[in-house]
Order: sequence, then C-alpha cells, then structure tokens
Amino acid sequence: MHIGLGGIDYSIIGIYFLFVIGIGFLLKKKIKTGNDFLMSNRSIPLWITSLAFISANLGAQEVLGMAANGAKYGWYTAHFYWLGAAFAMVFLGIFMMPFYYGSKARSVPEYLKLRFDEKTRSFNALTFAVMTIFSSGISLYALAMLMQTILGWDFNFSIWCAAGIVLVYTFLGGLTSAVYNEVLQFFLIVLGIAPLVFIGFHQAGGLEGILHNVDNAKLHLWKGMGSASTNPMGTDAFSMIFGLGFVLAFGYWCTDFLVVQRAMISHNLNDARRTPIIAALPKIFMPLIVILPGIIILALQKQFAGFELPLNANGQTDYNMTLPLLLSKLYPSGILGVGITALIASFMSGMAGNVTAFNTVFTFDIYQSHIKKNASEKHYLYVGKFTTIAGILLSVITAYVARGFNSIMDLLQLVFSFVNAPLFATFFLGMFWKKTTSNGAFWGLLTGTGSAALTYGLTTAEGKGGMIANLHTFYSGTSQAFNIAWISFLVCFLVTAIISLFTKRKEDAQLVGLVYSLTPRIKDENRVWYKNPLWLGILVLAITLIFNIIFY
Amino acid sequence: MKKLFDLRFVIGIFFLAIGLLLLIHSLIATTTVGFNANVNLYSSLAFIVFAVIMLILSRGKRPKDIL
Repeated sequence: MHIGLGGIDYSIIGIYFLFVIGIGFLLKKKIKTGNDFLMSNRSIPLWITSLAFISANLGAQEVLGMAANGAKYGWYTAHFYWLGAAFAMVFLGIFMMPFYYGSKARSVPEYLKLRFDEKTRSFNALTFAVMTIFSSGISLYALAMLMQTILGWDFNFSIWCAAGIVLVYTFLGGLTSAVYNEVLQFFLIVLGIAPLVFIGFHQAGGLEGILHNVDNAKLHLWKGMGSASTNPMGTDAFSMIFGLGFVLAFGYWCTDFLVVQRAMISHNLNDARRTPIIAALPKIFMPLIVILPGIIILALQKQFAGFELPLNANGQTDYNMTLPLLLSKLYPSGILGVGITALIASFMSGMAGNVTAFNTVFTFDIYQSHIKKNASEKHYLYVGKFTTIAGILLSVITAYVARGFNSIMDLLQLVFSFVNAPLFATFFLGMFWKKTTSNGAFWGLLTGTGSAALTYGLTTAEGKGGMIANLHTFYSGTSQAFNIAWISFLVCFLVTAIISLFTKRKEDAQLVGLVYSLTPRIKDENRVWYKNPLWLGILVLAITLIFNIIFY
Repeated sequence: MKKLFDLRFVIGIFFLAIGLLLLIHSLIATTTVGFNANVNLYSSLAFIVFAVIMLILSRGKRPKDIL
C-alpha cells in the first residue's frame, strides 16, 4: 500500500514541524532551573494539564492500535475507555492525587520513597526508566515503519528526522514544551481524523449501513461475555472486569508517572485533582475518533472493492493498516496532509511524553538520590538536558533493535503488565492501609513482577509465551495480558500484606499526608459543581454508565 | 510577544494557517475523488472557525492561562 502526497500535504507537514520546534524555542527563555525544565515549576493551567493528560496517552498505539482493534474485535474495544479508563481516572483525581500532590513528591517513585524507603523507590525508578525507553523506541520504530510502508520514506530518515524534532523541542523547553505540543497534537489528531470518520460513516451508509454490513457480534460491548469463546475478543467477563477494568486500568492511570506527571504540574491541589477527571470527559468520547474507523472499514469492505486490509509478513491480516488504508481511500490531497500529520503527531506525542517522564525520573530518582545529592538547581537543569539527549539516543537504538526482532512489540505489552499491575497493588495497600511496611512493599513488587513472568512462561496465546511449559492456552493475547495482570496484582497484594504483618512499620506521624486514614479529609462543599472533583467524577461515571447500557 | 506564551493563541494561529492553506487549495485545485470532492473546503472552514474561537478565547485577560 502506497499513498502519494502532493505539495499541499508536504506544506502542512512542514508547517506542523515549524510550530512544534517554534514552541520549543519560545519556551526556552522560561527555563532557568531544573525544576522549570523537569516539573514546569507547577505552573500549568488546568485546561492544558487535562488535555496533556490524555494526549500523553494518545500515542501511536492508541491512534493506530485502537482502529486496528476496532476492525479485529469490534465495539468490544471500547472497554479500553469505558471500563479501562474512566473509573481509574476518576479514582486518581478523587482519592490518589491528594497524596501525590500533597506530599510534594516530584515523581511517582519519590512518593514511594516517602511512603516506604529508598530501595522500593529505586526498583520502581529503574523499571519505569527501562519501560519508558522501550516505549519511546517502539513509537519511533513504528513511525519509521509506517512512513516507509505508506509513504515510501527512507527508514533511517524517518527515525532521525522524528527523533531530531522531538529532541529540539524537549531539549529547549523541557516538560512545558512537551506538554504544550501535546495539546496542539491533541487538537490536530481529533480535527485531522474527525472528517475521516464523518465521510467514512456517510459512505458506509450511516448507522443503517453499519448495522446491515457488520457482523452483529462486533457491535456490542457486553453481549457474549459469559464465556471467552462467545465474543470476538476471546475474554470472559471476569478477566475483563478484574484484569482490565481494575488491575490494568488502575495500574496504568493511577501509577504510571507518564500520565500522573501531567496532573502533578498543576497550579494547585484542586486543579491537580480535577485534571484526570476533566481529561476523562473527552476520553470517553474518543472511541468515536479512534475505534469507529475500524468498524467503518468492516462495513465498507462489504460494499466496495479496495478496502481489503493487506497481509503482514506472517501472512495474517494487518489490522494496523486500518487507519492508513482509510486515509488513502477517503482523503483527497490537502486534508490527507492533515491526516498524515495527525499520525506523525501521535507518534511524536508518545515519544516526547516518555522522554520527559524518563528525564524527570532519572534526574530526581536515580541521579539526585544515588549520585549527587545536594547540587545546585542549575546543575540538575544540565543533568535533565543531558538525560533528554541520552533518552532520545537510547530510543533511537531501541528503534533499530526493534527492527531486527519483530516480537519486541509483544515484549513491550508484556513489560507494561509486568510493571504496572503489581505496582498498583503496592500503591493501593500503601495509600489505604497504614500497616503496609517498606519490606512488604519491596518484596511484594519483586514477587509480583516475577509471577507475571512465570505466568507468561507457563501459558500461551496466539503462539506466544509458554517458554517454560504450556499449562494453559488463552483464546487471545489480550486475554493472556488481562490474566497475567490480575495474577501479578494478586501475588503482589498478598505477599505485601503477609510480609507487612511480620515486619516493622513506620510511625503514624511519618505517614501523615501519605496514607488515607492519617490524612485530614479535603472539604469541597462550598465549591460550585464544576470546581468540585467529586461532582465532576459522578458526571463522568454517569455518562460512562449510560454508554455501557446503550451499547450493551 | 506576550501573546505567544498563550497556547490558545498559538493553536489558533496554527489552525488558521492550515485552514487558509486548505481553503485556497480547495478553490484552485481539482479534487478527483468524487464523493469527497468538498471535504477540503468543509474541513478548511471548520479549522478556520476553530482557529477563530481559540483566538477570541486568547483575548481574555486571564493571567492564569498564560505561562
């Protein structure tokens, strides 16, 4: 599949590059200290932190991957939003953000240090740093592969061009520049893909055309969830609710510093609490932009020739080509440039988010805590800038490594379930059970991560896993990931709780502001509803519930 | 210069530039894809409207919204 771009399309891509680099140069003069560079001096307005919060997650996997999942699994994919995001985002805003923001921690690992100890912080900082570099490198690799496949661009040119642009604007303007560009990228992605959904929907015959031409099994959310064999996703209701809805969702949205960092740079605690909740509002409507194209292509395939998806190197249907195929078939030159720019923006947004989270965690949680403790702000600014360059270079190396090993994408998914799922158990116990001890948390994390690896080694799905033995075969890779998540969560939870019962805990006085039962409640009664995180959260959950009922 | 630190202004200018470019292109170029003949025109108008809204919002004097 090859898309030919015209002069107008290249002009739009060029304007976009000019703006993102321009934002970096503009913000350069505002960056004077390490805190400015890595934490934006906690000065970012609410509407920007909220949009950056979802934009940091609106990377390549979201934009390309969810359209692909829409075509593969149908509307069941919306579970990633209405079950796997909304509840966790509201929980983060109402219950967890007061501890992150109120404790004055600069990062998620630093909260672990305040609540537990240095070794728990270091373990989390190291696994998180590796995860962000992997993620950033994979984003870069996927961008270069996509540009090579659909536009015929040289792989090396795409890698170095994208990495260079992200380096310029994150090096110059730090986190603020990354966040500002994420907001620009958010609007570009939404406005660049919305016309595609509109004309695709129209061409497919509207709602009637979709209902008539798409397999009914792919147009529901909960139907057939009684058993893994009776729905396209191959997942039963228990692993969906407990694996995705609880462990993976809460593990990602509540503990992954990449997204939590966007809320932590707000003006004040109320803004920090409202950031993920306000972000949840556009988030629950995102399936219309990112999943609906996958459904539309199924309807178009039944009615028109030329909408068949190509095969990948393994001879299987390449669902990742869903969005590029729709762009090439439905967009004329001009708006096509906007659509391609939106795709590039999603990759760069994902990469910049990871690099800025990496440089903060490395500088504060590894360098400052283990290498040089009491240096000047200027010193940490230089370390942050140097780490940004190192992060980009490591991402480039990872992208080239990914080129040689085609299973590295699966490895990345696995790393997420290994790291985030047990971490949520640690946070859940640490924030809500004052008897949780430092040793309990550390060994719980370690065994939780180990149990994830063991489960993967003992089970298979779609030919993956089972390196030790094959004790069970899952219907799909998604189902395997959900099950690994809840098992590692449960192991971490139990090990942490048991060890905590037999080891010495911190005094209550040391845990004020870090543990729910020892922290004074925040009173929001006098605020108007849109300034009250609780009322906003109820609104988000009510809309989410209505969507679940409508699309049952 | 201070305006440039207001993200709403920057986003407004960006979409205004893209919208005007698309508008000019839709008026002078012949789009061959039959069904989507006017998609450039309609999209450009939507971008321009969005840009104008962002520029109007950036006129409000709210120091909290400016870095």
